[in-house]
Amino acid sequence: MPPISTSHVKDSPIQSPVSGRRATAKNVFVEVLLVAIAGAVFAFAANQISPRGLVLTRNYFPAQKPVSATNATPAALSPAELLAAQIRGNGLQLVDGDQAVKLFHDPRFKQNSIVFIDARDESHYREGHIPGACEFDPYRPDKYFAAILPICRAAEQIVVYCNGGDCDDSETAAILLRNVGIANQKLFIYGGGITEWTDNNLPVETGARNSGNLRGANR
Amino acid sequence: MNTGQLSWKRAAVDIFTVLARWLLGATFLYLGLNKALHPVDFLKLVQQYDLTQNALLLNSIAAGLPWFEVFCGLLLLTGIAVRGTALTLLLMLVPFTILVWHQALLLQAAQNIPFCAVKFDCGCGTGEEFICRKLLENFLLILLSVWLLVGYGRQLSLRFSLIKLPSH
Repeated sequence: MPPISTSHVKDSPIQSPVSGRRATAKNVFVEVLLVAIAGAVFAFAANQISPRGLVLTRNYFPAQKPVSATNATPAALSPAELLAAQIRGNGLQLVDGDQAVKLFHDPRFKQNSIVFIDARDESHYREGHIPGACEFDPYRPDKYFAAILPICRAAEQIVVYCNGGDCDDSETAAILLRNVGIANQKLFIYGGGITEWTDNNLPVETGARNSGNLRGANR
Repeated sequence: MNTGQLSWKRAAVDIFTVLARWLLGATFLYLGLNKALHPVDFLKLVQQYDLTQNALLLNSIAAGLPWFEVFCGLLLLTGIAVRGTALTLLLMLVPFTILVWHQALLLQAAQNIPFCAVKFDCGCGTGEEFICRKLLENFLLILLSVWLLVGYGRQLSLRFSLIKLPSH
């Protein structure tokens, strides 16, 4: 039996294993391209239709980041300290827990001269917020501006908070408010946020603003 | 090996491949939906990687990637363009796994803890997880993708290949 020559196989009009593999590989790459194009169209259409979809052109992180949480100075600063440095770097003022409590008990709070802004999303806000705080999710600003801008313009001091710790949503919210004309000197960030507030057994309101549903009030 | 043994082996491979395809498809559908339904949370997680400062690019990744995963999951579940989808997933999984591993190394250095003790939300759609477990999961997903890419088992596929090879 004569040996099978490879050149004979290559030249065969019937598809050789090598050319078959090449054709298959080519088809797979064409499929990848088709999947990528169809997938991209599907993805951006779904984002557009979804009520929770992102606005592609919006800058959701207006704050400058002078220090990265994962760069250099690892053990020197905690995430909260890094965030505090970042907040100051962005020209905003911080208030601590005691100052936040003082502002909360200040009579001007009842007159809306001092305003608390909760910069978390709606579900967290409804689960519990500082009593009387306004809801302002900085990732859906258009939904809230009409309600909170008149309150912020009339206020003397605005205290913005989120979860606390390394959460920077309060900073984002404050910068958004500053960008629409709220004076920077009125804006304060409560760094401890709702976590510190509840840890100190301070009153928390559930549901809508001024719903009257309060829990925990030891101070 | 006799014909009976061969056909038994082939049937086992076919069953495994269909299950692998469904598992991979369901996994991507679940992970994609988890992120797509909370796009802001995913956007924040993507931002932690410092991939880009460009808002449009960052938003496009956070808005598009979850739904793209959903799309790939649906293709695998229904068995359409299986090899192309498997390669697409590989092209996403491999760089992403390297990125997660790199981020974990940074966190390990920052927290001064053993590598496997590093726990963070990598933006994979499963919340906070220990890094070694996450890497193992990704490795398994990569293996399943490679298995499908090799082209085993066309059973229960609506259209295994989009492009038909010319038959002679």
